[in-house]
Amino acid sequence: MASAPVVVPERTESTDEVRELDQVWNVIVWNDPVTLMSYVVFVLRKLFGHDEATATKLMLQVHNEGKAVVASGPREKAESDVARLHAHGLQATLARD
Amino acid sequence: MRGIVARADGGVTVHLSARERDLLRSLPGQLRPLLAGEAEAPTVSSRLFSRGYEDNELEAEYHSLVAEDVVSQRLAAMDAFAVTLEEGSQRGGRWRTELDAEAATAWLSAINDGRLILGALLGVTDESAWEQHADDENPTSIVLYYLGWLQEELVAALTTALPED
Repeated sequence: MASAPVVVPERTESTDEVRELDQVWNVIVWNDPVTLMSYVVFVLRKLFGHDEATATKLMLQVHNEGKAVVASGPREKAESDVARLHAHGLQATLARD
Repeated sequence: MRGIVARADGGVTVHLSARERDLLRSLPGQLRPLLAGEAEAPTVSSRLFSRGYEDNELEAEYHSLVAEDVVSQRLAAMDAFAVTLEEGSQRGGRWRTELDAEAATAWLSAINDGRLILGALLGVTDESAWEQHADDENPTSIVLYYLGWLQEELVAALTTALPED
């Protein structure tokens, strides 16, 4: 710890923490050949509250392009989203924006 | 009447033949060991359980924290599915049973995991290979297609219970 005024190191540390915690992570769903398209749409609606049109658009992106970003947010939230997708049997990863 | 119908309370009513019921009854015994990782089946495991991170170190950490929960949730659903198959009423070759929202969700998980397992066992690696039709010579293929029909029925019924757009 540098011998600086007490306030400065604390502010620097918490600013670094805030930057780390606020960093945006993307939740990515990956295509797999067996999973039904209607099931993917249902899971996206159930887990993220998307409407039918949005969930369908995302599903088609997964289907046609191999993957799609379905949500994003701080790392902890993104990780929890990925875990929920895994619990529903979908292939999903999180990655820094 | 054959298929799965939504109820107003978020549950569903299931109408299937006795033969279909017997087929479904045969599944948990075969699928559960694979889901639990009790059988040596790396191709199945990799299809059932996705990694969360591309980075190996982050993945190792994620796996150690989360994997057990994901497995136990899906096993619990498979077990709940098995229990419901012993309920309902059967008469004249037809079986009918009621599932509340929780049981219906368990069915969805069990059926999806069943399809992932069967797809892995069949070696389905791209859509064009299997989108044509079931291979009548291959019982595994027939069951995969059947479960696809059943899952579509269930998803359609459960979709009516999702919040309005």
